[in-house]
Amino acid sequence: MKFKQDKKTVFLDPHTQLTLSDEKLDIILSPSLYWVKKVSLPLKHARDAKKLLVSLFEDLLPEGSYSYSVYKQGEQFMIFAYEDKNILELLASQGILLSNVSSIHFAQSELDTIKGAIKINDTQSIYVKEGIVTLVPCCWIEESGDLDIADIKLSKHTLTLQQFGHIVDNKSLISIGVILSVFILLTWIELFILNKHIQTIEQESAEVFSKYHLKPTMFQNKALLKKYTKIHTNQTKMREEFSKALKIKDIKKISYKENRLKVSS
Amino acid sequence: MNRINPLYIGLLLVVVLLISVVQLNSSKGKLQEAKLSYKNISKLADNLVSLKKAYANKTKMEKSLRSLLRNKSLQASKMKATFKKSSVKLSSKSIDKNALNYLMGKLVNGSYHISSFEIKKLSEEKASFKMEIKW
Repeated sequence: MKFKQDKKTVFLDPHTQLTLSDEKLDIILSPSLYWVKKVSLPLKHARDAKKLLVSLFEDLLPEGSYSYSVYKQGEQFMIFAYEDKNILELLASQGILLSNVSSIHFAQSELDTIKGAIKINDTQSIYVKEGIVTLVPCCWIEESGDLDIADIKLSKHTLTLQQFGHIVDNKSLISIGVILSVFILLTWIELFILNKHIQTIEQESAEVFSKYHLKPTMFQNKALLKKYTKIHTNQTKMREEFSKALKIKDIKKISYKENRLKVSS
Repeated sequence: MNRINPLYIGLLLVVVLLISVVQLNSSKGKLQEAKLSYKNISKLADNLVSLKKAYANKTKMEKSLRSLLRNKSLQASKMKATFKKSSVKLSSKSIDKNALNYLMGKLVNGSYHISSFEIKKLSEEKASFKMEIKW
């Protein structure tokens, strides 16, 4: 029985083709997949800085649909901007299923302690400059080591990709969800009121039966009504015919039997 | 990354809304049926009660008939009344014209269920009389 699934850490870079099997992955994003800034803000917590991220990157980013992330490092904040769509497309092109992705990290949060330059593909290396993991062409650095991320202990700084962020933003999705939920709630309230109304009417119907001492079934009551309606019709007819018959002169005998009036004169 | 896709939640909400709307329409139909059924039951009850009151109120009929037969104008006709469980038979071998007019006026204008009768002229002033009333 398998209780714990092994996870593999991979470095996701647009210029590197990964060879993977169907396994769970922790992904480290290449610096080419995000924008990063180290800023000092008069704030205590990273969650307070989230509201400012859009304005902090204003006029710096090319046109696109960006998501933002932040974590605190010492007294400073590391702020990130990234395009979910780009990363998702790259994952898809590498044949990585989202269901196999366990976590996604920035190279900044995982590789900021590397010494010297590390080659990440045929043409590019990364190295840390003033605390920022920076991407540089290989020819800038003469001696580059190879990237070994198998033993890296990953931090808790992860990001979550918005799969449909480029189509509908989160706010719109939440608004649509809220509107749908409100409609559902209104429908349920109306349904509750309607069912109460139905119950009341059914109760009133039952009360009519007991109030007028009706028979238990409508079939019996309808049959009774039919019987008495027939009696009423016949009696009315008999009285009308009897009234007319009395105008005949010299009547010797007048009789009524089986709903027929006979006059002999 | 194993987050629930927001679109799935949206779809779920849409499906729940659709089911709720269908349920609502079904309940609206049930309400109309319940209203119609109540209206029919009330109408039937009103009609049945008024007809039963008119033609099947044994106690009231028997009481009013006994009172009628005690009338002075009918004493001379020696009216014979046989009360049974569901009917009464009235008969007189000879009843005078005025008493017959009075009796028939009361019976025909009242809400009695007259199942049969026979009036035979005996002379200008007299007639024989038979009648059965049911309840």
